[in-house]
Amino acid sequence: MSDTLFHLFAVLTVACALGVVLNKNAVASALCLLVCLTGIAGLFVLLDAFLLAVLTVFVYAGAVVALFLFIIMLLDMQGGNRKPFTKSSIVAGAAAAGLLCTGLYSFLVRGHIESPVLATTKVGGSSLRAYAELLFTTYLLPVQIVGFLLLIAMLGVIVLSKKFENLEDIK
Amino acid sequence: MTPELLQNLSADNFWPAIAPEVMLGVLALLLLVAEIVLPKKRHDVIPLISLSGLLGVFLGILLNFKPVGLGETTFNGLLRHSEGSQFLRAFFVLSALLVTILGIIALKKQKMPKTEFFSIVLVITAALMLLGQAHNFILLFVALETVTVGFYILVSYTRTNPLSLEAGLKYLILGALSSALLLFGIVLLYGVAGNPSALGATANPMDFDALRVFLAHNPDNFLASVGIVLVLSGIAFKIGAVPFQIWVPDVYQGAPTPVTAFLAVASKAAGFALLLILAGVFSSYSHLVISVLSIMAAATIVFGNFAALTQHNVKRLIGLSGVSHAGYLMLGVIAALTPGGGSQAVGAVFFYLFAYLLASFTVFGVMTHLAGPNDSDQELDHYQDLAKTHPFLAGVLAVGLGSLAGIPPLAGFMGKLFIFVAAFKAGLYGLLAVAVVGVVVSIYYYFGWIKAAFFPHWRPPLPTGSVADSRPVRSAVSLPFGLLLGSLAVASIILGFYQGQLGAWLLGR
Repeated sequence: MSDTLFHLFAVLTVACALGVVLNKNAVASALCLLVCLTGIAGLFVLLDAFLLAVLTVFVYAGAVVALFLFIIMLLDMQGGNRKPFTKSSIVAGAAAAGLLCTGLYSFLVRGHIESPVLATTKVGGSSLRAYAELLFTTYLLPVQIVGFLLLIAMLGVIVLSKKFENLEDIK
Repeated sequence: MTPELLQNLSADNFWPAIAPEVMLGVLALLLLVAEIVLPKKRHDVIPLISLSGLLGVFLGILLNFKPVGLGETTFNGLLRHSEGSQFLRAFFVLSALLVTILGIIALKKQKMPKTEFFSIVLVITAALMLLGQAHNFILLFVALETVTVGFYILVSYTRTNPLSLEAGLKYLILGALSSALLLFGIVLLYGVAGNPSALGATANPMDFDALRVFLAHNPDNFLASVGIVLVLSGIAFKIGAVPFQIWVPDVYQGAPTPVTAFLAVASKAAGFALLLILAGVFSSYSHLVISVLSIMAAATIVFGNFAALTQHNVKRLIGLSGVSHAGYLMLGVIAALTPGGGSQAVGAVFFYLFAYLLASFTVFGVMTHLAGPNDSDQELDHYQDLAKTHPFLAGVLAVGLGSLAGIPPLAGFMGKLFIFVAAFKAGLYGLLAVAVVGVVVSIYYYFGWIKAAFFPHWRPPLPTGSVADSRPVRSAVSLPFGLLLGSLAVASIILGFYQGQLGAWLLGR
């Protein structure tokens, strides 16, 4: 059962990921990304990582892709004409793809993880309560730093996008 | 919530240990509040608040250089405080101080909001200081992202300048790529070390101590090697080492000059701090780390120096020469990893960084002062006759460039000497030869700059309104800024003759 589901989600994820890259229409690309992320969430469920699955759907499929769609529609993106590939870019692309495939191949052949005996594995890291407790005890400092990260990100948005008309009279 | 939980919480999260960082964070918030509260006429005070706060934190770190708990971990092992991290704290605060001063001068020439700049510089500094003490991959990544996001904003800060926006976009995309590499490496290490059936497996693979123990048990795990190489690549991006140097010239040119200085000095220093910390964690894989770093270092020295030869824009020139400095510093890191190099090489790297800070800010100070309204347009030609019109600036510039080139008796020479001695002791003769050739090549372009400033040029008779007039107007140097530039230059000279306690402490560890 879980094997069938794995194959289903895996094919869905990879096919949609290809769709993101190959689609000429930006809206269709974004929707492919949505399905792709849902497939990944499905894979997480199969791994019993329920919280991660829910967060993927909420944060990525829900918020981030919706944001992408808003921006695409705001900018009214058209497919546009793509420049044909030049000879050198084809050669470079093929070389890069070849290197990547060699790397992946050696990774698959040589990289080996012994699968642990499931009965001995400690379960309990996947509940929301356990995560929350870690966030507010062990990882309190990183959470605070992320707070500052969001603060400066917000400042950045203001600085980079707001119209400053009354700046001259500051001088 | 039980009382025991709260007690554990306050015992584990010992906030006084990171008092300087907390103060900088509070100061950053304070600046934002000050902008709202103060009337518009008094907004000039805001950078001064930032300056005095930074100065206070700097003096506080120096006065309390060896606090209790040095060499111990705090925050559940997320941070580890050491003498090296104390040095880095002072280093980062000092560079933030200088960046703020340059920022005041540079922002006067732009119609841009001011307060946010100083606030972001403070947050970045606090994150950099935490990076220097990182002892856990989660903290490392979060702090590094804070630094990087801050730099995305600062690089594209002068958004009316298309080059600045282009630089910001390039830095954003390539920075995101490097973060992805780093994260992928961390995840691989986490997965391998957290596997319960592996020898020496740990429940907390993000912790550097636990990871080191695991790696010592598994000295040739393929996946761990891939993870280590990916982590090193992510850090190589931050220090601008070949082949991750592609962003350097454009970003250095497009960013406002104070930000370029911040990138060149503080961001690079943070990369080396991480490299030194992680080299200790990966010590059982040192053969791999050394071979990867050696190839990178040789390529970095050669590329940086030869690419800088043909540059006419001084910001690109200093960016590419910064690439070559990263190469010399990597030589020091490799020496520290090799048996025979040892802790003296670490001291040499720190000394080099400090000499680099002094010399770089001298040069960047002169650049900031001479820059026109278009900050990206700073050509070598603009320095013509500088010695005639502003002999003081030209003299300071010559000291700074001479120190960067490594001319005796300036501090930069001593920095290079210490690193080369450490490399010689470690037996890295091949890399040493490459580095010496690199230094010789670098003298050509540094002296080209000095020549532009000092020696009269033959100018072809041109119609009016051409090249000669495109030079930005040169104003006189204000007394405080002149004093600052002068003291930086004097510090470079003194540190070349007499390293004193600093040298004894750094090299005697």
